[in-house]
Amino acid sequence: MSDLKNNEGHSHHHNHSVLPEEPELRVKAIETLLIQKGLIDPDTLNELIDTYENKIGPKNGARVVAKAWVDSSYKERLLKNSTKAIEELSYTGRQGEHMVVVENTPETHNMVVCTLCSCYPWPVLGLPPSWYKSDEYRARAVREPRKVLKEFGLSLNDNIKIKVWDSTSEMRYLVLPMRPKGTEGFSEDELSKIVTRNSMIGTGLPELNDD
Amino acid sequence: MMTRPHDMGGRFGDGPIPIKVKDGKCVDDEPVFKFDWHAKALAVTLASASVGKWSIDKGRFFRESLPPFDYNRFSYYEKWISALVNLLIEKKLINTEELKNAVDEVTKNNNVLIDKNVFEHKDVLKPKDVSVTLGRGGPSKREDLKEPKYKIGDLVKTLNFSPNIYKIGGHTRLPIYARGKQGKIILQHDSHVLPDKSAHDLGDGQEHLYTVEFTSNELWGITNGNKNDVICIDLWESYLTDDT
Repeated sequence: MSDLKNNEGHSHHHNHSVLPEEPELRVKAIETLLIQKGLIDPDTLNELIDTYENKIGPKNGARVVAKAWVDSSYKERLLKNSTKAIEELSYTGRQGEHMVVVENTPETHNMVVCTLCSCYPWPVLGLPPSWYKSDEYRARAVREPRKVLKEFGLSLNDNIKIKVWDSTSEMRYLVLPMRPKGTEGFSEDELSKIVTRNSMIGTGLPELNDD
Repeated sequence: MMTRPHDMGGRFGDGPIPIKVKDGKCVDDEPVFKFDWHAKALAVTLASASVGKWSIDKGRFFRESLPPFDYNRFSYYEKWISALVNLLIEKKLINTEELKNAVDEVTKNNNVLIDKNVFEHKDVLKPKDVSVTLGRGGPSKREDLKEPKYKIGDLVKTLNFSPNIYKIGGHTRLPIYARGKQGKIILQHDSHVLPDKSAHDLGDGQEHLYTVEFTSNELWGITNGNKNDVICIDLWESYLTDDT
């Protein structure tokens, strides 16, 4: 059936039509074939899934933020050479090869999007949440960031400048939120627990729990 | 100006951000993988890249080159898996006949019922190498003997057409909403692989990369939003002109 498209010269972008409609079967078909052909190892799949499900996630980024809050020389290094400073905590590699940390201040609020796909700093935040990958966020974040932030429950004063970072290259952006008032006696560990995922994307703030 | 359906920044018509809200606040309690097949789609794609050896840019190009009808209706991981199939076929690692057979097999059994193959491709990603491979990643920074043309503070204007001069309808990272617009260089990132070339197996073609800041007014007009707001976009040197 894909042969019909051959005369257009890009049949290879239509071959996927061989796959069944049901997404689960789609994945099973390709997984089956690749294992049969010795192109992938089923144990590797489990290892990859375990890595992103249990080992790499926003708690990594929260450690970076908490350290920057308590250690001013670390913060300086982090803002100067983000990739290197994050590597000090051994968060490196895929989708975080080139990091840029952007700091929120009383005057400026940063938020991150990738309008063209869903680029996201995996080593520090894990895989992106589904809203980050949604058409709604990708289409609207650059044109009406204030309305988008309001939907997240974040209303910013008109005089605060919003900086939206559209991740069009391999640079990956992490927001350094402001340390909330009332956390003066907190340890680094306690601080890392109030750093939410959304606060590091810029669609939220750190959250002080009541407990 | 032509583009593809992935290039949706600024588009009108999309509804509220799909998040869970309670007491006026976003509740962030989504599992990493909503379904098992999401996890499998991710893992199969990452593992295949080891034998396929396509660049990240080529991977992106194949996702955004899905026919618009499919791109728009597919969920994130459906795009991944469909683009993966197209890549594997283009790389001749699989063919459509084999794929049809695999589809028949899983449709009949509704499951993956196979033992590990004794034959193994020489570049297959092994479980013990996962953490090192991910930890290394694939840096895009390259040596460049050329001096950067622009410096921080310079005013630049983006091209008002697709910068990809190598292939019609080819990959590029200059979004359509930022074409023909004036901005200011705010960051310099050394030299990086040019996606416009790398996506089409034309080499790294490294170029100096900058972050360019555009005012909301410049991109969307004075009637939209807040005049204080800015949008920062990473752009390669050949996307820019000094004809401001």
